[in-house]
Amino acid sequence: MLYSKFLKMHIQTSMQYRFNTIFIGLTQAIINIGEVLSVYILFSQFKSVQGYGFYECLLMMGIIYTVFATAECFARGYDEFHKLIKSGEFDRMLIRPVNIHYQILGSKIELTKLTRVILGIILVIIALIHLNITWNILKILVLISTFICGFLIITGLFIISATISIFTIEQFEFVNIFTNGAKEIAYYPINIYAKWMTRIFTYIIPVACFNYLPLSYLLEIGNIPMWLCAISPLLGMLFIIPCIIIFNLCLKKYKSTGT
Amino acid sequence: MASIIDFTDICKTFKVPLRAKGKFSMFKNFFARKYKTIEALKNITFKVDEGDIVGYIGPNGAGKSTTIKIMSGILTPTSGNCVINGSVPWKNRREFVKNIGVVFGQRSQLWWDVPVIDSFELLRDIYKIPREEFDKTLELLNDALNLDDLLNRPLRQLSLGQKMKCELAGSLLHHPKILFLDEPTIGLDAITKLAVRDFIKFINKKWNTTIILTTHDMNDIEALTNKIILIGKGQILYQGSFENIKNQYSSSKTIVVEFAKDYDDIHLDGYETISHEKRFATLKNLPSKQFHPKEFVNEITRSYDIVDFQVTSLSVDEVLAKLYKEYEIVER
Repeated sequence: MLYSKFLKMHIQTSMQYRFNTIFIGLTQAIINIGEVLSVYILFSQFKSVQGYGFYECLLMMGIIYTVFATAECFARGYDEFHKLIKSGEFDRMLIRPVNIHYQILGSKIELTKLTRVILGIILVIIALIHLNITWNILKILVLISTFICGFLIITGLFIISATISIFTIEQFEFVNIFTNGAKEIAYYPINIYAKWMTRIFTYIIPVACFNYLPLSYLLEIGNIPMWLCAISPLLGMLFIIPCIIIFNLCLKKYKSTGT
Repeated sequence: MASIIDFTDICKTFKVPLRAKGKFSMFKNFFARKYKTIEALKNITFKVDEGDIVGYIGPNGAGKSTTIKIMSGILTPTSGNCVINGSVPWKNRREFVKNIGVVFGQRSQLWWDVPVIDSFELLRDIYKIPREEFDKTLELLNDALNLDDLLNRPLRQLSLGQKMKCELAGSLLHHPKILFLDEPTIGLDAITKLAVRDFIKFINKKWNTTIILTTHDMNDIEALTNKIILIGKGQILYQGSFENIKNQYSSSKTIVVEFAKDYDDIHLDGYETISHEKRFATLKNLPSKQFHPKEFVNEITRSYDIVDFQVTSLSVDEVLAKLYKEYEIVER
């Protein structure tokens, strides 16, 4: 399959700079561990934030780390789309008889982000051990779909950022408010924030769908109907569809750069 | 013969933001940006027959790359029709690009850090080339370009010339009907240049591939093309054979004459004396006067005693520079 060839090429490239790859991978994980520690210290002072304890937050952090790093690893092409345009690589993609999204996904696979994915999964496991959850098949399915939903939403945000670079060529820093903002905000169950913020990150950018909504379902808490919490990750996944449609429409306006 | 490329009245305009200056210019630029419309291409019309090698020339910024990008389906023109190989490039892009190959002289299509052969293998998957056909094509390209030692080395270790050879091979693996070459000989040494030229000719003969070539090297044009299209400021100024245009300008000759003794004044009907110093003089034929060596010798020996003379005509580069100036298409 073509994608496995792309993957093989990226692995080969990182193997050329083995030390660098390992070093970057480790530093990235260490930064995240620092963040986890700061949250831990916070909770050792306050015990709970709006009824949520440390392990609820740890679960949220684990999920956002995992999905964000997975998106950064496999959907890096959208995240750094301005580079593809500037280097002319995107022009090159347009003359290949392969779907453009497939090529963008294959163009950049950032393997150093995998350390963050592993860290995220470890955090999730630690949190789940400490949280008092009565497991059943449905809950496992909701948990799995939460990860998929998170990955698709972050990727959708990257696609929006890429869409803007079609016009600006440069990366538009304003978009970072949404990509990095969504990431930072999702360290905690987002219903602890001000109402308007919770609303933005529920209805416009549906971060809630891989955040407090599935968490409510797993813990069986809160006053939102349980069935809605259960299907929320599935609803969140739909976010990527308009993102792709908008990208495809804007692509028609693509101007390319000089030689 | 049917034309493989048919360009009719293609126009392309770009909107470029004007940068406001002065106080608060940053805010003005951000919130109320004004745009200027630039006409990159104006009513470009031409036809190319199958198996032709066409030189697409013009000064920097004339619109060459824009045309190539429209022809390869990367850009959509503002107006006009374009049929290439029976289809419109920007519609049904994925089907269309199977039959074209593109080499941008200053950009690589191969992977920097992996052996060249792996990049080729990736291209094989991208174009879904059957293994047997791929091996056969690769063997052919290998023989023609001597790639043997290069294929197993990462691209970054290759010289510019070696890279260009690999780029050319890479763009031909899928046996395209049309090949676009954007400055294929830029920065190459003399030997590699010749090798690249020979290869372009070879592929054109072997596969009857139609080749569109942009270049600033007039020797490329002379050696390869059977038709040129001259473009300036987004308009076509000339299309036809290069010989025509060359003859038109090369009729002007410069003759350096060495005389047997000093003359006070050199005067010859139909010729202009450009410089005269002691026993040497430089003459130039007037536009009305056709230069014939025999006639010239007869005429000059009638009045003067000469030892030697040397005739030079304009080089192809000078012809082109003259042409650019005449059409006033050089950016100042």
